[in-house]
Amino acid sequence: MATLQTPIARSSNPAPNSGAAGTVVLSNVRKCYGDFVAVDNLSLSIQPGSIYGLLGPNGAGKTSTLRMIIGIILPDSGQVTVFGEPLRREHKEQFGYLPEERGLYKKMKVLEHLVLLAQLKGLSSAEAHKRAQSWCERFELSAWTGKKVEELSKGMQQKVQFIGSILHDPKLIIMDEPFSGLDPASAVSLKDAMLELAKSGKTVLFSTHRMDQAEKLCSSICLINHGRAVLEGDLSQIKAGYGYNNVQIKYEGDASFLKETRLVQSFNDYGNYVEARLAPGADTQELLRLASAGARVSKFEVMEPSLEEIFIAAVSKPA
Amino acid sequence: MRNMWLIIRREYLERVRTRSFLILTLLLPGIMTVVMILPAKLATMGDKAQHIVVVTSSPQLGETVRQRFLAALTTAEEDDDEDKPDANANTDAAKKKPEQDYVIDVDSNATEAERAALRDKVTSQAIDGFLWLSDDAIASGKVTWTSRSMAGFGQRTLLSQALNHVIEYERLAKNGVNATEADLVLTPVKVEAVRLERGRESKGSGGGKLLEVVIMVMLLYMAVLLYGISVMRSVLEEKNSRILEVLLSSASSTELMVGKLLGVGAVGLTQILVWVVMAGAFALPAMAMQPSFSELQISPGVLVAFAAFFLLGYLLYSTMYAAIGAITTTEQEGQQLQFIVVIPLVLSVFMLNPVVRTPDAPAMVWLSMVPFFAPILMYARIVVQTPPVWQIALSLVVLIGTIAGIMVLCARIYRIGVLIYGKRPNLPEILKWIKYAKA
Repeated sequence: MATLQTPIARSSNPAPNSGAAGTVVLSNVRKCYGDFVAVDNLSLSIQPGSIYGLLGPNGAGKTSTLRMIIGIILPDSGQVTVFGEPLRREHKEQFGYLPEERGLYKKMKVLEHLVLLAQLKGLSSAEAHKRAQSWCERFELSAWTGKKVEELSKGMQQKVQFIGSILHDPKLIIMDEPFSGLDPASAVSLKDAMLELAKSGKTVLFSTHRMDQAEKLCSSICLINHGRAVLEGDLSQIKAGYGYNNVQIKYEGDASFLKETRLVQSFNDYGNYVEARLAPGADTQELLRLASAGARVSKFEVMEPSLEEIFIAAVSKPA
Repeated sequence: MRNMWLIIRREYLERVRTRSFLILTLLLPGIMTVVMILPAKLATMGDKAQHIVVVTSSPQLGETVRQRFLAALTTAEEDDDEDKPDANANTDAAKKKPEQDYVIDVDSNATEAERAALRDKVTSQAIDGFLWLSDDAIASGKVTWTSRSMAGFGQRTLLSQALNHVIEYERLAKNGVNATEADLVLTPVKVEAVRLERGRESKGSGGGKLLEVVIMVMLLYMAVLLYGISVMRSVLEEKNSRILEVLLSSASSTELMVGKLLGVGAVGLTQILVWVVMAGAFALPAMAMQPSFSELQISPGVLVAFAAFFLLGYLLYSTMYAAIGAITTTEQEGQQLQFIVVIPLVLSVFMLNPVVRTPDAPAMVWLSMVPFFAPILMYARIVVQTPPVWQIALSLVVLIGTIAGIMVLCARIYRIGVLIYGKRPNLPEILKWIKYAKA
């Protein structure tokens, strides 16, 4: 596995940003299920009005972390702070939760269900009705408000679930793998909705193992593996820390420049273009001169590392 | 509290609005009435009158026997109505018809030829049976009743009693005692049962009391089986979909659990109320058809006890069902553990008999305190004999405390069990979960 040029510079567990009124701060949180350590000494900090990604492979501890933030389970040790205070029951009204699979009563009518969820969060019946109707209109579900949940298609149910999580205008929206199972069109809708929420000042926290989504959406991330934070913080800073190691090249002709191991450590041929990983200490300009000497170069782009690469590299490092 | 109320309402409405609820509530009483009354009606309707022949050596004896039979059959009906609270003392015996019509002929040809002829008539269904009451038969004490089927036990007893009455009078007459003197000598002594309830006397036959207890047991059984299982299923459904997690992000597991139990309880209560109203509406004509129902004398104290113990018993067993749902992951597993609920219920029924017979015995007193048996046993004791107030109070306190305790445990298991998918916990793990102060 190719190593990236600059080793990971930052510490694995940055001190939580307790100075600013971070929306959510986890300090050395630990959670065990019997002998199994699900979350191990985890610290992170989420700023208000941002989109925060909790990334990691399956079984890394993402869901447990989310549940501890929501307050469904409590940590064995460590502290969960929300809106500047230790997590309390009353905070729950400010949270919106979207679980990984749909969690809806099959036999309940859509509008009734939404109203119930909103009322449980403290809304009055009248207000809940009003908001539920308008959201359903927006998502083109008006014709279905009187139907039972089980009569809706999976995609519509997901919309209902989403509406249910934001109906009460929460300050913090937590989503567990929201993109899983979504078709591209729905994924785009969801992405737009998340961006809109963040723009209006809400904080969005979601877990995923789809790096491409995280890359596009998140301003900050936390990469978890085996219950521990491997990377945490501002995404662009993290990427900067990894340096620019990859070059995307589109060419016609002599490919021998790729074999120059002094410059090119490895490369991936994607058919339309080639992604070359630079050898340590290689100069991009020298590679360009070499490439254009033997081939017609139509594209030569120095890229920041993809989150996917960072993820793989970070995850494969010995713990 | 508001959350709990929202949950109660949801659980209630979801069940009450289904078609099956309507059908069950409206149809069941109808079915039960039919099931209870119809067979009796069928048995009597369409039966042609029983045609019996009494064969005696002398016509007078035959006539006396005949009169006596008819009187005996009518009186038997009256005996059942004795305890009716508003029994009209002047009820005309003629107004009461025997359940079955009898035509009784007297035949004074007590010969073997006649016997053979009568046998043929029985076989050819011209008559239904004949009684061989010749003087020889009486003298040797061997009177035979010949028919196609073995006469019903009650019938035979009645007939034999009536017959004995006649024969006694005959023998006495032969020894110089006339009918009037014989009446005086042979008047039976009737024992009337008077119950002393808190210094006040109240009459009532044992039959009515037993009915009250039986009704309670039946209703409780039905309610628990119908709704208890529904609670278990509902708990399982919520665990297996993610709805529970979504709810837990808003409400506590205690609110959810208690809300669900109370909501389902309210459904059961509604159903019972509807049935009581329906029963009240239909009871009057029904009582006219089935006299034994009118034996029910229900004191207000018993009614209150019924309501209290029914509800608490229902809550207790449903909570246990909910706990089973919280521990297991599939309905199959849940059904395997059902015995935990069913066994106490069945044991209570088994113990009914001894408790009813000796409600004061120390063993019975303590048994009726055990919360798993109290709903049926303590109630039975209250119906049959009023136990001291402190005993009733104690059993209620223990029962309510147990229900509350199980609910709390249940809520904890419910919540934690949700979060560990797939793996079915074994007992030590469950105990560990319970010890987690708050999830």
